[in-house]
Formats: sequence, structure tokens, C-alpha cells
Amino acid sequence: MTWKVIGKGLPKIDSISKVTGEAQYTVDLKLPGMLYGNILRSPLPHAKIKSIDTSRAEELQGVHAVITAKDVPLNKFSFFQWLADKTILCSDKVRYVGDEVAAVAAVDEETALEALSLINVEYEPLPAVFDVEGAMNPGAPLIHDKEKNIGFHVERLFGDPDKAFEECDYICEDRYVTGQVSHCCLEVSNCIVKWDSSGRLTIWTNTQAPHTQRQEIARILGIPIRNVRIINSTMGGGFGSKLVIDMKLPIAAILSKKTGCPVRIENSRVEEFSTAKTRYSYTIYVKTGAKKDGRLWAREMKVIGDNGAYHDKGPATLNFSSMMFGTLYNIPNIRYEGNLVYTNKQMGTAFRGFGNPQIAFACETQLDVLANKIGMDPLELRLRNANQPDQMTFCGAEITSCGMKECMEAAARAIGWEEKRRGKGLRGVGLANMVHTGAGGRFYGYNAADAFIKLSDDGTVTLITPAQDMGQGAHTVMAQIVAEELGVNLEDINVISNDTDLTPYDLGSWGSRTTFMNGNAVLDAARNTKKEIITVASEMLEAIPDDIILEGGRVFVKGSSDQYSFSELADYAINRRGVPISGKGRFVDKLPSGYTIKEGFAKNIPTFAFGTQTAEVEIDEETGEVKVLKVVAAHETGTTINTLMAEGQIEGSVVQGIGYALMEGLTLKNGKVINDGFLDYKIPTIGDIPEIETILIETNDPHGPFGAKGIGEPGLVPTAPAIANAIFNAAGIMIKELPIIPEKILKALKEKKGS
Amino acid sequence: MSGAGADKTLTEEAFMHMIKLKVNGYVQELVVKPHQTLLEVLRGPLELTGVKEGCGLGECGACTVLMDGKPVNSCLVLALEADGSEILTIEGLARAGGLHYVQKAFVKEGAIQCGFCTPGMVMATVGLLQENPNSSQEEIKEGLRGNLCRCTGYVKIIKAVEAAAEMMREGEQT
Amino acid sequence: MKSFKYLCPKSVGELSKILYRYDGKARVLAGGTDILVMMKQGKLQPEYVVSLQAIPNLAYIREQKNGGIKIGAMTRLREIEASSIIQTKYPLLSKAAGWIGSRQVRWRATCGGNLCNGAPSADLAPPLICLGAKVIIGGRAKRTLPLEKFFLGPGQVGLRRGEFLQELVIPPPLPRTYGIYLKFTRSAMDIAVVGVAATASFKEEGECNHLRICLGAVAPTPLRAVEAEKIGLGKRWDEERILVMARMASEEAKPIDDVRGTIYLRRHLVEVFTKRILSECLEQAQTKP
Repeated sequence: MTWKVIGKGLPKIDSISKVTGEAQYTVDLKLPGMLYGNILRSPLPHAKIKSIDTSRAEELQGVHAVITAKDVPLNKFSFFQWLADKTILCSDKVRYVGDEVAAVAAVDEETALEALSLINVEYEPLPAVFDVEGAMNPGAPLIHDKEKNIGFHVERLFGDPDKAFEECDYICEDRYVTGQVSHCCLEVSNCIVKWDSSGRLTIWTNTQAPHTQRQEIARILGIPIRNVRIINSTMGGGFGSKLVIDMKLPIAAILSKKTGCPVRIENSRVEEFSTAKTRYSYTIYVKTGAKKDGRLWAREMKVIGDNGAYHDKGPATLNFSSMMFGTLYNIPNIRYEGNLVYTNKQMGTAFRGFGNPQIAFACETQLDVLANKIGMDPLELRLRNANQPDQMTFCGAEITSCGMKECMEAAARAIGWEEKRRGKGLRGVGLANMVHTGAGGRFYGYNAADAFIKLSDDGTVTLITPAQDMGQGAHTVMAQIVAEELGVNLEDINVISNDTDLTPYDLGSWGSRTTFMNGNAVLDAARNTKKEIITVASEMLEAIPDDIILEGGRVFVKGSSDQYSFSELADYAINRRGVPISGKGRFVDKLPSGYTIKEGFAKNIPTFAFGTQTAEVEIDEETGEVKVLKVVAAHETGTTINTLMAEGQIEGSVVQGIGYALMEGLTLKNGKVINDGFLDYKIPTIGDIPEIETILIETNDPHGPFGAKGIGEPGLVPTAPAIANAIFNAAGIMIKELPIIPEKILKALKEKKGS
Repeated sequence: MSGAGADKTLTEEAFMHMIKLKVNGYVQELVVKPHQTLLEVLRGPLELTGVKEGCGLGECGACTVLMDGKPVNSCLVLALEADGSEILTIEGLARAGGLHYVQKAFVKEGAIQCGFCTPGMVMATVGLLQENPNSSQEEIKEGLRGNLCRCTGYVKIIKAVEAAAEMMREGEQT
Repeated sequence: MKSFKYLCPKSVGELSKILYRYDGKARVLAGGTDILVMMKQGKLQPEYVVSLQAIPNLAYIREQKNGGIKIGAMTRLREIEASSIIQTKYPLLSKAAGWIGSRQVRWRATCGGNLCNGAPSADLAPPLICLGAKVIIGGRAKRTLPLEKFFLGPGQVGLRRGEFLQELVIPPPLPRTYGIYLKFTRSAMDIAVVGVAATASFKEEGECNHLRICLGAVAPTPLRAVEAEKIGLGKRWDEERILVMARMASEEAKPIDDVRGTIYLRRHLVEVFTKRILSECLEQAQTKP
């Protein structure tokens, strides 16, 4: 299929405003009369609040308001409201270092900071617990008013794993731990909040999910949803950190109400690391069994997720990881048990991959150990168990397009699997597969999208879509879909998405759903707009509809050299015909009828995205350093809408994956983060990246717009296990805890030598 | 505030100072407090919000500007230390009628995702290529290691810098 | 950061007077890349900040008649890194300078600042100590001090009331001297988790007639591994002797556990780096004329 704009590496439509410094991020905005808010946070991981004295802070010149729990509604809140456990400000207890205790609004940042230092809080420290297994013990300090620290539990069962393990010829059983990592968006989380005279609250913030955040704000403040308006600016990164509100928004709202002024609250970089939400750290027990011929026959996994002090997207990540666990390799007998355990630490939230990178690390590295036991090449083992297209898995996932085999073969070939597997010195290669959703999922009872297109009187096209662009290029994808369908140029399309008063309800940009869900809605809107355009054009040009061609922003009649601009068309429509041109679009992901989670717990995912990564590493056995020489990432895109952007998503994910595998992890001492800056929380710099080769596998999804599916998250999932497997090939050591820092390599090499 | 004027020596009681510097070609006279950084002054009174703050501690490079032609982290330069200097920010890069060749290259190669690191990355690149238009890939990696990006994985940034260097060599300087 | 009074002397005489008068209340501002970070973090709150930027003749790299060099304290790290004189005569110094921070940092940071900050991990210190550098201290009276006597503890250097670091003097390189600096980092831009420098010269007959080994980030100050040096000085080296020297250097190190590395890792890396550096020096001596 040759398209005009689909499949091309076109620059993003917002590139120029970003490269000139013109783009306005939330941190760049100022409102007249704006005050600066700041939050007093708990210095202790677990303590009772005995008293708070704010009198000195209130007296400080320049301070307009000081609030504590007595000044705020104490509605408990969580993303899943039935698990609500957090209040805007702590009233009786603090549960992690960083928990919000009080807040101030002042004329400038310096005064606000000084005011915080004048607030006196008396704490009574309580015993705290920082590891999940400790928190599960009967004698552990209880963090919430519950009998135990287990906040959520989920189980999945398909087939008969107990019987199946008995039938296995080879079994591996291992424990893995993944680290607590930080999103490190370059733009810190921040907001400006303002009430107007009609009692409506407007929030300017960087958010991936304005409509659901609007509901959350309404819920936590106890006000009607209709009174909340969220305006999104250009976003400086998201990666999942900007899906669920944090307490800055309601705190700013209350300060704004009290002072009658707009209030800005901004995280400092230290707060971003030490108090903001993180990726869930998982402790994973996994057992996999295979038959003699390499057929994976049974698998059992127990996940203990470190919830942190309060609930967020944790249950959803456990659920989602169970779905991916069940889908990859279509193992007939599986058992999954997931627990979320409270600890006195920062809470977890969504982070690119959403539980999948964690379990993929465990499952894919164990598979190499299993392959080694069987005496089979790890690639061969995986090829034998590969998922197939148009397959329903044992656990009920309905796979449509599937490029797993192609991904594996491409990634293996490109790294030089055959020759490099033999190893040379301390060099080795490793491989890991993944499956992810390519379209979000009907997780919250809704998976649909609307879009609206209008042809302006000047001939430009305006698209109103709720798709949020956090840098991944969602707006460009939507514009390309419109451009392809309507035959207009990309520069003549204006994409509007940033105001909840204007855009249709949408779940937000997460779960790699935007291209598929919003893209389909936009395509529908474009098709409907095209119908109107053609009706008008055929009348204007006195031709039959089938003879109308739309191309390059112009309207032609087949066989004639006459051409008209879109502005002439619009002029005709409005001034001669008297009717404007527009189009509405909708896409609803239909769940199979009679769907229940028991029947198939991944049935609510419209399409799956498969991928494979291979990595070549070299180990310095004296220093323990792992040098990644090359990563090949072969991922399905269905159809690549924009090659530059798809590659960009994969490359960015791979580098985040390298950080996850080798460098990143929050280090705590007595519950306080001690590496709260880029100095000691290391993320890859340009000097740390290997050669990265991206291979886009096009499998033409039957339901995606132009055959496309999502690519935002998949690139992060297999990187860490591919690297760990390469280390295994290079040095015969399997490190089961992330990050794989030199100390761990040295220790493992020492142990291997000794044994 | 005692009248410190431009004389900054041994004025013990000075809380405010006047500085004069050239920013993007225009002379600016400002009254600043000693503890204000160049970054605060650029983003604040001068409203050049294209210069970003990522960490405030010189670790991420988002605030990179050219100071007398050299790339520096503006968060670690006191405004007072910038007195008398020439500052170029991202806003001053594009000439009337077109983007700078580094900007063109970043756009064309897909080196911009969320764009927050972009102004600093572009200014650091301009500094790098002005010093050595024939920078090798190793030198590019060394020269930009102080600019963190979380979105792109740097692959297309390297391509963009190489493309910009090529444009520069072919004389496409704006 | 908390406010302060800013002073900008125009001469070293004025500088000395100010530092004397405000002893204990003032900090010198050179490039700012260390002290402004600490001031923003609240670790330093000086009442006076004394800028050096208006004082002339503090930034230079001058070759001396005897073949050595003098470096002004305000010389930017980037200039030290890029100086062809230093690259030729003292390549390990140029490499160490270039390994610090980023270009943005190195266009502001100065050699004087890097040393006066007194960090045990200061990258310039081990190479300069191995090169036999001396510091010229300005103040009421000028004085000279070997650099290794300049460091007193973490963040503490040997400057008395009214004094400041004015110049570095590096003696001419000895013939057939090989010097290397290695630094362990967690990513491409990092502070030294461990730093090791060594300079070694060998007689025609093969014995080592000059050896200095200096360790960074593994003690309260940059540390000469004197016992290790004793094992190598005056002797012909082979692989075994190098291993013994490396082992001794690692025993002399006094590292601590912190977020960047454990005692185990640091000691181990001292041994590995010392071995690699000394082997490289020996190899260069044997292959080069």
C-alpha cells in the first residue's frame, strides 16, 4: 500500500514551536496576581501527628494563606475509589517521607519556603517498614487501619498447573526483584489553579488524562465534575507519571479558594525524586515447566508489588501484568497471584510498561536458564512456543495480528545471533520477547473515543481530539490520518486537544492506546468529513462524486486539469450553498459478548503488540562494568504511521530500559531517599548509549487505523531481560535483581569462581 | 537599597545591583539581587521562557545558553557574574526569515519529542559545532553528555548534530 | 538560595583584605559550579560571596624556561583540557580535567575551584599530586606549599585567614615518565567514585627511578599510596610486583560506604586501577624509545 503521508518520516507538527523555545509548558505560564504555593512534607516515614502550629508562618509578611488538615475536606481518595486511603493533607498520621502535612501560599517562592520553615509540627514516630516481605509479617507495623498491610490481592488460574508441573521434564524456580525507579520527566510536575466568580475551578497542568483527572479533582474536593475545567499545556514528558492526580492539585485549589488568587505549585527536582510516585517495585516468584521438546507447559507466578504508602494504579498494574503473563507463549496451564503490600515509602503509579517490564524481566531471564537446562538455544525455545496470529490463547486473549516470529528472526539476525552466541571472551548476546497491548483496553468499563473535524472558511482543517501529546507525537499521528484521508497538507491542519470544556471525554494517553483508539475515531471523523466535502465538490464542480479527487490540499475532477483550493471549496459551501463542512467520528472497542473476566482475562485488549530485542554486551570482569555494545529492537507497529516517531518511541524506550537494567534505583536510608538528584540517580546520558538498531515489523492490524497499533510502551519491556540474558551468555551469571550494578556482577563472578 | 550602581567593589551594604548585559542582541539593564541566577533573570524579568529549568544544579543542561560564545549552565551563573557579557538563548538563534541550521536539523531528523530538553540541547550543539564543526561522533557524545533527555534515547539527536555539521560544512549557515 | 552580600574586588590586594576582614563569613566565588550548588542545597550560607572575576591575571597557562608550567587559579577546566602544552607535557592532567562534569560545567569551573572545594574526589588532585605540583597561596604574604599538603579533610584546605589559591606550579616532566589517571563512574557524566593516578619513570636499565601513586575518593583527602610506591621504587617491575603494589595501594585506601559505592567496591577498584595503570606505564616504557 502506498500512501501519501502515512508511513513517512515527517517532522512532528509541533517541532518548530519547540525548537524555537516558543512552546509554552505549564512551568512557563504566569497568571496576573498569581501566588506561589509550597507544601510542608513529613520528614518521617511513619508517625502520628501530635500538633501543628502555623501561627508564625501566618504572620510572615507576604504569606496569604496557611492550611492544614482542618482546612480541607477529608474525603479519602484513590484512583480506584473503592480502595480510597489518602486525604489531601494528613490529619492523624504520616505514612512516608514526603507525605503532605500543610501548605502555604505566598507572594513568591522564597517567602513560601520561609513560611514552611516556620510551621512547627510535633510528631510521634512510629515503627516503619520498608520492604514488602517484612511488611507482610504478622508483627509488622500496620500502615493503614486494616488488619494487615496487604492492600490488594488478585488471582488468575487457567488449566491445571499443579498437574501440569508433574508432567514437565524441566522446571525452573526463581525469585526476582525489580527496582523502584523514577520517571525523570525533564519538566517537573506542576499546576496553576484558579476559581472564577461562577464557582468554576480551572486547572492548568501537565496531564496525560485531563478528563479522568477532572473526575478525580471533583471527587476529592467534593464538588460537581461540571465545576472543574482542566487545560493542558505542552507537556515536558509523562511516561505514566501524569495520569492520576497528586495532592498538589487539590491543595492548590484550596489555597486558591482561600486567597482569592490563582496559585501555582511546582515540584522541585528533589521532590520529584524523593516524594513523587515511582514505578512499582515487584518481588516475583516464578516457576516455569517445559516438556522435553521445549514446549512450555506450565507457569506459576507470585508477585508482591510494593504499593508504597497509598494506593494508586497498583491493582491495574497487577491485573495487566497477569494478562501479559498469560498471553505470551500461550502456556496452557498458568497460575498468577498478585499482592500489593503497603510500605512506608513513596507510592507507586503507572510507568511505561505498567507491570510488564517487571514480569518480563523475571519470565524472560528464567526462560534462558530453562533453555540452558534443556540444552536448547534460547531463540529456538522461544520460536517453538511463539504466539500465532488470529489465535485465542488458553487464557482467552484474542490475538489478531501477530508478528512475533518475524520480530524474533529479525532481531536475532541483526545482532548476529549465530556467531555471537558462541561468545568471545566476556562478550555475549541475549534475546527477550514481549507482548503488550497495542490499544489500551477496556479496563474501566469504557474504551472508546470521539473526534470532530471542521473545515474552516479559510480552507484549513481543524481537528478536535482528546488525544494527549506528551511528546510522543500523538497530534502528528492524528494530523497524518486526517491528511491522508482528506488529501490536505499537514501544515494546513490545526489540532486542538487541550481543554476539557472542548474535547470529548477520553481516558487519556496511556496503555499505548492513542494511535489505535483516538486514531480510529479521527479516521472516522475524516471519512465523514470527506463525504461532505465530496458532496459539495461534486455540486461545485458539476461532477459525479466518484470523479472527485482530493490531493495536496486541492480538489480535482478526474480527467480535467481544473483544480480548486480547499478555501475555494469552503467559500462555496458557506456563501453559495449556505452549509458548513464538518465531520464527527467515533470508535468504540467492542468487548466480545458475554465477556467475563473468568472467561478470558485478556479479552478486553483490542490488539496485542509483539516485539523482540537482542542485546550484545561486554563485561569487564575486574570492574564489574557491563558495556552494552548494541541493542536491536524489532517491534510490530501494525502499520507505521510515522517512521521517525515510531523509531523515536522505541529508541527512547530502549534507553530507558538500559537505565532500568543497569543504572536506576532509588536508594533509601530509614525511609528517606538519599539519591534525590541527577548526581546520584543516574539515567543514561548521550555518552552511555550503545548502537541501537530499530526494525519496524508491519503486520497490518485488521482493526487499527490504516492497520496501525500502539508502540509507546513496548520498547521498554524486553530491554532489561535481553541485557541480563546477554550477561548470562557472556559470563554464565544470571543476576536476578535490578539494577545490575557492578557490585552484583563482581559478587556473582566471585561466587561462580568459588563453586 | 543603597545606590550600588555598576561599582560592585567593597559596597558592604549592597542588596541590589545593576547589571548591563546583551541578550540575544539587545542590551538589557536590570536590577538584580546577588543570589539571583542568570537563569532566573532570563526566565523572570526578561521573560525568555525558552530557557528551561530542569534541576537547578548543573546536572541536566536544560538551562544551557551561550555566554560570550561558550555553552554554560545558566542555573549556576549568578546574574551578577553575567554583567557585561553577551548571552544567546534559544530565542535568539533563529534569524529573521529562518531557523538556524541546528534547529532545522533537529526538526528534520525527528530529534524532538517532548521538547523540554531541546532548547538546552540545541544551544549546547551550537556551542559544540562553533568550536569544532568537524566533531566526530565521539566528540559529539562527549560534548553533549551534560544534556539529559528522557524521551528520545539520543539516537536522533546524534543524527541531527551530524546533519547540522554537514549543513555547516556545506556553507548553509543562516 | 539564601541571599548574601556580593563583593567584586579588582586586585589580589583587595581580595586579601576582604578575606581577612570577613574571615569565617565569606566564600570565594570562582566558576561557581561547586559553591552555588552547595548554596542552593543549603549546605553553605555565607554572608559574603567574593567574586574573583574582576581580578586580572589570574587565568593563564605559561610554559616556564625550565620546561615546567604555571597555571593561574582562575584558568577554566576547559582551557586546561584543551591546552596543547598540557596535552603534550602532562596528558593525564588534560584527561582528568576533561573528565569533569560537562562542557557547560568546564567552561565555568576553574582549577583553583576544583582544588579549594576540597572534595576527596577532586579529579585534578591525584594527577597534580603525582606531577609534584605546588600551590602558590596569595594573601598578606605569598607562600608555597606542595599540593598534597594542601588538603586537610573533606571540604577543608590549608588556607589561613585572608589567603586564597593563586597559582599552580608544575615541575618539568622527567624524561621517560609515563602518567595515567583512571576514574570509575556510574555513567558518562559523574563524580569520581574512585580515582587513581600514577606517574612512573624508568632508567635505561629498567629500574623505576620515580613513582607516585595517588588515590582519590577513597580517603578524607586525596591520598598518596606511599607503601605501594616503596615496593616499586628502585626495582624492576614484573607482573607479580605490579600485583603486589596494587594490592598494597588498595590496603592503604580508607574508603567509606555511601550511595555511590561500597567499601568493598572502592577498595577493589583501587587495586584494579592501580594494576592497570602501572602495567600501562611499564608497557609504555618498554615500547616507547
